[in-house]
Amino acid sequence: MVYDMILPALPFIVGYLITFSLYKRRIIKKSVHVNVWNMIIGLAFLISAGAGFILMVLLELGITLPIGQPLLYWHVELGVTLVLVTIFHFHIYWKSSKAMFGSVKRRSEL
Amino acid sequence: MNLKEKLITALSTVPLIAATTMDGSCAAGCPFYGLSCSAPGRCGRFTDSGDGICDLSQSSITASSNTQSGSSSSSSSDSSTVSGTANSKTSSSTDVQKDSAGSSNPNGDSSNLSSSNSSNDTNASVGTDHGTGIDGSNIPSDGVHYNVLPVSILLIGGYLFTFYLFKKGILTQKKHRRIWNLLVTAGYLGTGVTGVLLIVLINLGVKTVLNPSLIYWHAELAILMVIGTLIHIHLYWKPFKNMFTILFGFKNSKKGKKIVKSENFSK
Repeated sequence: MVYDMILPALPFIVGYLITFSLYKRRIIKKSVHVNVWNMIIGLAFLISAGAGFILMVLLELGITLPIGQPLLYWHVELGVTLVLVTIFHFHIYWKSSKAMFGSVKRRSEL
Repeated sequence: MNLKEKLITALSTVPLIAATTMDGSCAAGCPFYGLSCSAPGRCGRFTDSGDGICDLSQSSITASSNTQSGSSSSSSSDSSTVSGTANSKTSSSTDVQKDSAGSSNPNGDSSNLSSSNSSNDTNASVGTDHGTGIDGSNIPSDGVHYNVLPVSILLIGGYLFTFYLFKKGILTQKKHRRIWNLLVTAGYLGTGVTGVLLIVLINLGVKTVLNPSLIYWHAELAILMVIGTLIHIHLYWKPFKNMFTILFGFKNSKKGKKIVKSENFSK
């Protein structure tokens, strides 16, 4: 079993480009574009982190279950998605992200 | 020293407290999860007190067998128990399980490892994917504890502290949010980078001494990420609720009442 990195990422890249272009062409509102991706990041987080948490608990308790393998697989694949959607999240909230990192610099310049 | 400086000093001690509550389990131990290596060993950290088998791997096996001692049989002094999740079965026969790594090495080529120890393999019944050595039983379990509770308590305590400061007016909302946004970013960044690195190493079949440390820090930073995300949701609770309103049309009951009132008023 080899973990795919491109295959799970591709539909999300295409999906983001679609909703972004729809928003830019004013076919959908910005709030819809933003909230669709907030929902996706929430779901990816829920599945990936949930699977990771179950795996950690199983590990700490020393329990081996047959579900361990598929759980690990989906933890990794959804983790790849989560990384990608997190980048989109930063893109959506770019101004506040810049402010978060940049205010220290601005203060030192003053 | 004014109040702000005192607070900064107090906050700066948080990482120190966190560091002291964690043990150094990520640093030491067998990087191949209890594979009983003979000289010269596989990882370059071979240490032997005289029996010809690496002490690090033996301590790893001992640690994991201690955790299973409740269920294992007390048949003989050298009764074998295998490490962690690799194989929960115990055998009353002979020596220490030589090839627990055959089934518990997280990224390695298990076929390689098991063949090198086939003479000692008495209980290797867990099936492995011989292509990459990755399967469900391959999750590392060398007795490493991920400090879920101490880290979570520290983070929640830290959040309650900054929330209290914000409520008292010592911290502005902007600063309060900024602290936790930076922390959650650090959590996502660390978990993401270590996770992607692990995928690359696993896909390439690369075994390094760093792998267990990477897994350890991936798990630790994931705790920061999870708790940080929950805090992030709490910080942005209104936009979070609005997400459901916008996407699914769920309406806040209070908001609905307000709308009805204003409609009545206008009429």
